[in-house]
Amino acid sequence: MASTTLAGKRWTERTVATITGMNTVWKVMYLLLGLWILLTAAVSPGLFATQFVSGLVYGMILVMIALGLSLILGLMGVINFAHGAFFMFGGYVAFAVVAQLGLPFSVALIVAPITVGLLGVVIERFLLRRLYGTEPINGLLLTFGIALMLEEAVRYTWGSAPLGYSADVFENPVPLLVTNVAGIRIFTTIVGILSVITIYLLIVRTDFGLSIRAGVQDPEMTELVGENLPVKFTLLFFIGSALAGLAGVLRGAETGIDPGMGSLFIILVFVVIVVGGMGSFFGSVVGGLLIGTAMFVAPTMLNALATTTGLPWLYLPGARRVVPFVVMIVVLLARPRGLFGEEGFLE
Amino acid sequence: MSKKTSTRAEQFKNLVNGSITVPERQVDLLVVGALAALAIAMPTIAGVLMGYSGVASNVLIWMLFAVAFNLLLGYTGLLSFGHAMFLGGAMYVVAIVMNQLGPVMIVLAIPLALALAGLVAYGIARLIVEKGEIYFALLTIAFGEVVWYIANSDPGGLTGGDDGIASGLLPPLVESYRGQLSVYLGSFAVDIYWPVAAVFVVATYLLFRIVRSPFGRTLLTIRENEQLARSIGVNTRRYKIHTFVISAVFSALAGVLLVIVNQNVATSYLFWETSGEVVMMTIVGGMSSFAGPIFGAFLWYLGAEFLSGWQAIGGLRHYWQFGFGLLFVAIILIDPRNGGWGALKNSVRWAVNKYFGGN
Repeated sequence: MASTTLAGKRWTERTVATITGMNTVWKVMYLLLGLWILLTAAVSPGLFATQFVSGLVYGMILVMIALGLSLILGLMGVINFAHGAFFMFGGYVAFAVVAQLGLPFSVALIVAPITVGLLGVVIERFLLRRLYGTEPINGLLLTFGIALMLEEAVRYTWGSAPLGYSADVFENPVPLLVTNVAGIRIFTTIVGILSVITIYLLIVRTDFGLSIRAGVQDPEMTELVGENLPVKFTLLFFIGSALAGLAGVLRGAETGIDPGMGSLFIILVFVVIVVGGMGSFFGSVVGGLLIGTAMFVAPTMLNALATTTGLPWLYLPGARRVVPFVVMIVVLLARPRGLFGEEGFLE
Repeated sequence: MSKKTSTRAEQFKNLVNGSITVPERQVDLLVVGALAALAIAMPTIAGVLMGYSGVASNVLIWMLFAVAFNLLLGYTGLLSFGHAMFLGGAMYVVAIVMNQLGPVMIVLAIPLALALAGLVAYGIARLIVEKGEIYFALLTIAFGEVVWYIANSDPGGLTGGDDGIASGLLPPLVESYRGQLSVYLGSFAVDIYWPVAAVFVVATYLLFRIVRSPFGRTLLTIRENEQLARSIGVNTRRYKIHTFVISAVFSALAGVLLVIVNQNVATSYLFWETSGEVVMMTIVGGMSSFAGPIFGAFLWYLGAEFLSGWQAIGGLRHYWQFGFGLLFVAIILIDPRNGGWGALKNSVRWAVNKYFGGN
C-alpha cells in the first residue's frame, strides 16, 4: 500500500476528476440511480431510513473485518481466510465471558479482541511465517485449513446451535429522526468509525506505520536500517485479528452467534476487498459501506419501484444476498482493479 | 551389456525409482488397468473400510471431480475456489430438466448440463483468468456464491430453495429397490455402480490423455514459468481459458453422475465449502501427480465414513474434519506440492531401495 492511496487530498481530487471526466452514459446512469433512491425515500421514508441505518451498521461490521484483512493483504501479501473464523471466534469468546462467566458486556469488549488477537499472533508466528516468500497461494490454503479447524473446534466446544448474549445498556432503542434504532447498532457504528480513524492514524501518522510502509516497499533495506520487521508484522497481525474479534463481539450482541457466521462473512468481505480494490485502505472502507447499504437498501428500492410502476414481479425476494455480487461484477467490468485499487497489485 | 547383467530385482528397483522410461503405450495400458482395478475393487474396499459398499460410487465420482479440478490447480497453477458451481450446477440442470419435462428428458439434460457448464466457465474465465492467483481464487468464490444464492432463492419454484430437489429423478431403465439403484436392460439387471464405474474409468483416462498430450505439457510450462511460456509463443490466456472450460465440463460430468446416484440435489452441493472440500482432497492427496487427487478423495471418504463411525474415539468422531484440517495444514507446511501420494511414493521408493540394497 503506497502512501499515495492513503493521502486523502489526492483521493478527493481524483473523485472530482472522475466525475467531470465521466462520459454521458455513466452520468445518465448515476442520475437515474439517484432519482431511484429519491423515489424510494419518498415512497416509504420510514422503511428507507430503517434499512439505510441497518445497512450502514452491517457495512460497519464488514469494514471492521475488511480493514484487518486488507492491512494483512496489503502489507504481507497474504490473504487470511481464517479472518472470518477470527470474527466468529470473537463472538464466541464474548459469549463465554458474558453468558457463561456472567461478566458485564464491557469486559467482553476488551477480553474477546485480545484473545482473538493472541490467537492470530500464534498462527502468524508459528505457521504463517514459514510460508513467507513461497507461492502466495500457500498462505491462502493454510489459513483456509485453519479456518476449518477453528470452526470445528468451536462446534465441538459450544455446539452448532445459534447462541446469544446480552449487551447490557446497549439493548435499549434510541430514537433517531423517523425511526428507532437499537443502541447496539449506534454503538457498533461509533466503534467502527473510531477503529477506521485509529488504523488510519496508526499507518499514516506514527513511526510504526512508517516503518511498516517502508517494509512493504523494500523489506531488505528497511531491515538494514535497523527495523525489526517480523515483530512489527506480528503486531500488525495482532491488530487485524483483534479488530475482527471486536466486530464479532458487536455482531454477536446484535444478532446472536453461530459457527457458520465466519464463513458467511468472509465471502462478503472478499467481495468488499475486490470492489474496494486489493490492498487499499480507503477501498475497504468505502467498499464495506457501499456493499452493506446496498444489501439493505436495494430490496426496498426494488419494492418501491414495484409499487409505483404496478409491476409486482420487479420485487425479487432473494435480491439482498445477490446484491454484493452484482455490485462486484459491475465494478469488475467497469474497473477491473476495484474502486481504489492500485494497478497491478497482486495481478 | 548393462541390460544383460541387470537382474530382475535391479530392473524393478530402477522402475520404482523412475530411471527407466516406459513406452507411452505401456503407460496407457497401465493407467487403464489401474483405473479399472480401482473401480472393480472399490465396492469391496468401501465395504471393509467404510462400513458399507453403497458409498463406492460416491467415492469414484469425487475422485473424478478431484482429478478434473486438479487439471487447474496442479497442472496450470490456478486455484479455483468455486468449482462446486460446476458440480452442483450440473446436478441442478439435470434435476430441473427431469422434473419439468419428465425423466425421459435425461438424454437432453446431460448434454445440456455439460454444455452449460462449459459456457459458464468460458464466460467466467474470459473475465478473470488473467488475474493474479489470490485475486483469481477470490473471484471464483464470488461467482460460486452467486450461483448458490440463485439456487437458494428458488427462482420460479425451479430449484426448490433450501430443500433442493429429491423426487422425480429416476431415469428410464433405472429402478430403485430398497434404495438400491439398478439399471434394467430387458430382463438383465446390473447395479448402477457399474455404469458409473465405467464412466469414471473412461473420463479419468481421457483426463490422463489430456494431461499427457502436448496441450497438457504446455500447461506444465505455464505453471512452471508463465513468462517463459509467453516468450516462446504460447498464448497463455487462451490455454488457461481452455483448461478452465475442460475442467468445468469434467466437473459437470461428475455432477451428472452424482445426481443420478444420490437421487437428490441440495444447495449444499453449490456452497463454497464443497469447493473447499475438493481443494482439500487435492492438496492432501498431492497436486503434483495425476493420482494424487484420487488418493486424496479416497482419504477424505475414509475420514468421513471410517473415522466418523469409529466408536472408540467417542464424541470426537463427529469432528473428523478437524483432523483432516490438521492433516491439510501439516501438508501445506511441509510439502504443499506432493502431498500424501508423494509421501507414499517416496516411502515405497525408500523401502524398495532398502530391501534390494545398493545405492
